Amino acid sequence: MCANMARELDVRGLPPPEPFEHVMRALPTLPAGAVLHVHIDREPYPLYEVLRDSGYAWQTTAMTDGSFSIRISHSA
Amino acid sequence: MKTISLSTEQAPPISVPLRFFAAAPLFLLLAALMLVYGAVNPFADIHSPALLAATHCITLGFMAMIMLGAMQQILPVVIGSPMPASRLTAWLTFLPLIFGALLLPAGFMLGKPVLLNLAWPLLGLAFITFISASLISLARSPAHNATKTTILLSIIALGGAIALGMLLAHGYASGLQLPYAKLATAHISLALGGWVLLLIVGVSYQVVPMFQLTPNYPKWLARSLTPALFIVLMLSLLSLLLEPRPYWIVIVAQSLFWFMAGCFAVATLRLQSKRRRRVADATLSFFRLGMLALLCTALLALATLFFPAVDRLGTLSAVLFLLGFAMSLMHGMLYKIVPFLVWFHLFRGGVKRGIPNMKEIIPEAWMWRHLWLHRSTLLAALFAPWWNAAAWLVALGLLLQGMLLGYALLIAIAVYRRTLERIEEDLP
Repeated sequence: MCANMARELDVRGLPPPEPFEHVMRALPTLPAGAVLHVHIDREPYPLYEVLRDSGYAWQTTAMTDGSFSIRISHSA
Repeated sequence: MKTISLSTEQAPPISVPLRFFAAAPLFLLLAALMLVYGAVNPFADIHSPALLAATHCITLGFMAMIMLGAMQQILPVVIGSPMPASRLTAWLTFLPLIFGALLLPAGFMLGKPVLLNLAWPLLGLAFITFISASLISLARSPAHNATKTTILLSIIALGGAIALGMLLAHGYASGLQLPYAKLATAHISLALGGWVLLLIVGVSYQVVPMFQLTPNYPKWLARSLTPALFIVLMLSLLSLLLEPRPYWIVIVAQSLFWFMAGCFAVATLRLQSKRRRRVADATLSFFRLGMLALLCTALLALATLFFPAVDRLGTLSAVLFLLGFAMSLMHGMLYKIVPFLVWFHLFRGGVKRGIPNMKEIIPEAWMWRHLWLHRSTLLAALFAPWWNAAAWLVALGLLLQGMLLGYALLIAIAVYRRTLERIEEDLP
């Protein structure tokens, strides 16, 4: 059941460091198997480094309006 | 859909950019001293040793110090690719740059060839290290955006500017027979019109919408502006190889260049007028001042092309570009980037409580004071080519700005250290 859970987090329009802060606060509450779906204005390279070091996997999709959609989950 | 593969290189520790930023204000103090100990009014003669020395204190010691330090932090953030061996790269850039930037102006000021001959190899080492590391970082980057292209073009321009600068310094010191006027024109064009302008444009594509909450730059503008500026700059430089230099090529190339630079300033001011949060912000005001100065530089540079006989217009446009445009933007960026770095490095280090808010790291009152001081310095600099007393006011303004900026940066470093110490004390 958890595998189908997806949480939405829209941080578009927020100034730094708020997008990063919101994602980092949401991650510890993410159940195993669930996905955090983040909508963000710019590709957050520093976040990727933190995700990699903290054991998360992610997939990024560039949207046609210039924003990005990132699906974050616990690494298998 | 795409999956990002990150470079295995880690982003640099906070000490890497901060050491560059902390050293930069010292060169404003030195520039002020050079102006005071020079001729009666160094601004009255663009070739005066004091003005040459003060200019290199600002361009190498202040501006390049900030730009080289900032790039080591900006590359991982905007193109997802840190510089290789970040600590070693930082030291091999920082140490020769700081000594080279001290020796070169001293050589100009004192007329000592030995100082120039010590300076240019050091500066060469600093910039060759930086350029090589930047090119590796760009080659590894997974990003495909206008900022990446623009950074590449600015790095190419920097390489040319540095090669010519080394040749000029060696030539002066050794008494070589060289076409100094042409080489100096190419050196200045590549350094200011290539490296400084292009890099600021490329970084603005990211920083303006991100920190100032404006709409993005139009895609067509972001894609085409900097390649067009670069091509026109190259065309203008190639005309230097022809003897006599065809004046119509100079007129066409420089008119196009300054028209496009002016368009960038107008586009940025328009975006800033559409920002989503309309609260007073000193860093935004630094940026707006910089863009207004770029627009005025463009208008003055065009006027200089068509009225070359008007004395000291060229000095005025150079002053507006350096102090008005480039220095304003660097102050504005520093006051935004340094608090962000302090916050980010505390937060990503696992600290979740007791981290100061970004706005508490450097008190905004200091930034506003600095902005007023900077505006006054710029105003004095605009009168300096004609009014001797204004040159003294410029020196005083640079001295006070160096002290104020240095103090503000030390506050940020102290906040970082204090917070870390408190956390360590709280650990069981």
